[in-house]
Amino acid sequence: MSDGSVKILNGNTFVVSDTRGDIEASLTDPTGLFSYDTRFLSKWVLTINGERMNPLSVDDLEYFESRFFLVPGTGTVYVDAKLSVIRRRAVGNGFHEELTILNHANEPVDLRVRLDAGCDFADLFEVKDALKKKGTYSESVKGGKLVLAYVRGTFGRSTVITSSQPARVDKNGLSFKIRIGPHGKWSTQLDVATEALGFEEMGRVEDPARAQRRMRQNLARWIDQAPRLECDLEPLKATYRRSLVDLAALRFSPQVAGGRSLPAAGLPWFMTMFGRDSILTSLQALPFTSELAATTLRALGDWQGVVVNDFRDEDPGRILHEMRYGELTAFEERPHSPYYGSADATPLFVILLDEYERWTGDRALVRELEVESRAALNWIDEYADLQGNGYLSYERRNKKTGLENQCWKDSWDSISFRDGRIPGFPRATCELQGYAYDAKLRGARLARLVWRDPALAERLEQEAVDLKRRFNRDFWVEDGEYFALALDPEGEQVDALTSNNGHLLWSGIVDKSKAKAVATHLLGPRLFSGWGVRTLAEGEGRFNPIGYHVGTVWPFDNSFIAWGLRRYGFKDEAAVIAAGILDAAEFFEGRLPEAFGGYERSQTRYPVQYPTACSPQAWSTGAPLLLLRTMLGLEPQGEHLVVDAALPRAIGHLELLDIPGRWGRIDAFGRGRVNVEGKGQRA
Amino acid sequence: MGQRTHRPTSDPIAEFFAELGRRGHEPLLEKAKGSARFEVTDGRRTERWRVTIDKGNLGVSRRNAAADCILRLDRSSFERAVAGKLNLMAAVLRGEVGIGGDVRLLVLLRRLFLKPPRRRSPTARKKP
Repeated sequence: MSDGSVKILNGNTFVVSDTRGDIEASLTDPTGLFSYDTRFLSKWVLTINGERMNPLSVDDLEYFESRFFLVPGTGTVYVDAKLSVIRRRAVGNGFHEELTILNHANEPVDLRVRLDAGCDFADLFEVKDALKKKGTYSESVKGGKLVLAYVRGTFGRSTVITSSQPARVDKNGLSFKIRIGPHGKWSTQLDVATEALGFEEMGRVEDPARAQRRMRQNLARWIDQAPRLECDLEPLKATYRRSLVDLAALRFSPQVAGGRSLPAAGLPWFMTMFGRDSILTSLQALPFTSELAATTLRALGDWQGVVVNDFRDEDPGRILHEMRYGELTAFEERPHSPYYGSADATPLFVILLDEYERWTGDRALVRELEVESRAALNWIDEYADLQGNGYLSYERRNKKTGLENQCWKDSWDSISFRDGRIPGFPRATCELQGYAYDAKLRGARLARLVWRDPALAERLEQEAVDLKRRFNRDFWVEDGEYFALALDPEGEQVDALTSNNGHLLWSGIVDKSKAKAVATHLLGPRLFSGWGVRTLAEGEGRFNPIGYHVGTVWPFDNSFIAWGLRRYGFKDEAAVIAAGILDAAEFFEGRLPEAFGGYERSQTRYPVQYPTACSPQAWSTGAPLLLLRTMLGLEPQGEHLVVDAALPRAIGHLELLDIPGRWGRIDAFGRGRVNVEGKGQRA
Repeated sequence: MGQRTHRPTSDPIAEFFAELGRRGHEPLLEKAKGSARFEVTDGRRTERWRVTIDKGNLGVSRRNAAADCILRLDRSSFERAVAGKLNLMAAVLRGEVGIGGDVRLLVLLRRLFLKPPRRRSPTARKKP
């Protein structure tokens, strides 16, 4: 996504335009109006007397609303300021735009106002992969409305454009011939509505003014119900607020969730239901809001796999990876209806349910999801132990459009040996074993506490103990003193040093005797950049500071690493990582991108954003929240919340007020005392 | 596909609903509560079936009454659905199956059409 683009969003509908408010998308360019993975408007260009607009400024009023201040004429030297143009746009069902033109002259003015409109109805996958369409297009004018449509068999999508002021509508747009008096004003309300054949829920129309009021109230309530942060460090407060607002924006209410919301993954590619991303974001946000976790668990439970299906990589008990709504999914040219190719979402589902109960005490949901949780725990051993060696591994069965790497580092080259070789399949990556271990222990707790099945609890605990013992033997790289990234199909250690070691601390699978060495690596010069822990250590064969999963720093990854360090008692080390990531957030005005470059902090002075990173992105948005939890040492214990703060000195005094949970509301206080200067960096 | 009789049934859709009635209880739907109307179109004719679900207990009737959710599809699509050969989610997205009402209930109802597996994952291979 190019810089200078303006994005507004609501759930999984979003608009990306240039700073004039215009949209001129090409097949490979992700601008336009998108809803349910389909582009509903790819051209939307305003001209006055044949001239394009010149942008003066853009106001991002709310995440779902922006205002463009413009003047006609593209000349950069001389701008005719006799006219002002304001486009105020809000996302709803499609979008609503109020176009206002002000005449500043003492004479009346005659204008030809034109909006060119068009649509390619591209599936987001087509935009990403530049594919060709198979259906037919039509443009028509019906009762003063411009209808753009695309039909392929029973599949139909259309965009309906209307204006409150009379317009001459043709197949390519709307024209207005207007006269504005001296110091007068002209204004029209434009509606761009999306429709889908046979999928009536999608085209439900809400009055735009009401929708905006509802969204504004909803956002205010969301902010109001979250804990309040007070601290001496202003940028941290700004980052916190940004995180809350972005998380609100990324909430997505799929029809399956009955109007409640769960986090979508990120703009622009991932405004949809994702197993892994939704679960991890819900975990990050738990101390601040438990609503996301409850909805995520319910929705993912509803869609849990039931059959063995190779196209969708589905198994009974498996939690989905990704759901899509576009044309390619509809015609089963892509398997996302939903696609199940994720090896971690299933154990993470159980982990989230247990963590949710620990915070909220909501045992009703644990009971409600008993069948799904048992099926998930069963999946780990019955369907995911592909080699029969007691380790969770993955290998796609959909060889054409399935995912090769079914762990969070899902790019093709993310799993490698020190020398850069890529292993075969199945692959048993290390963090999957950690998640499986944690899921078994947490599942055991729920079995004993809520499902009243002590036999299951005992079996799960026994399996966990056994898994931990074998894991610490088979994955430990003796000559490096860290855990291997994976085991290959022959059981060989895939021996690159990676950030995955931090997730192992979080899971608790690491033997105490090995934790110190792991922590030293995480804060050591090969992994720690000064901003955060790199995905892959410097010096490894495939290391590249701007390689997607082979050298960049991921804020979400670091938030879980910090949590893991805390779990093993490395409070100061966790604070160092928190300080680095929160410092980086300042450079992005509080909005952490998906990933940034793994360059040495002392070398670049500022974090270099990864070129095509999604932003905002849910689990990056959640990272500051989990880091706050980690620094404050918040931990539910029975009916109480334990606070054990270890804050970087620069933060000074910090209060997190009204933390919701089974205790009602509790305040947490801390004072910065950890010296993070120069930690983990080269001397 | 788990046929209970050697005699080929002339109407797989009637047989599907009859089987639901005989099944009586479906553990996968213990969370669900509500009613669904299936409208099966065949040219100009529309057959209606009504299924009620209460904590996994299924009731089937031909009553043309209001329901919490509705599924509308033509006969050939429904035959593929009852054979476990139609991906309902994709079919809804491409307009082959029309839906309305309580969508969460529809998501759970999808489990009625899925044939539980009798074997492990195809890539699963035990080492001796």
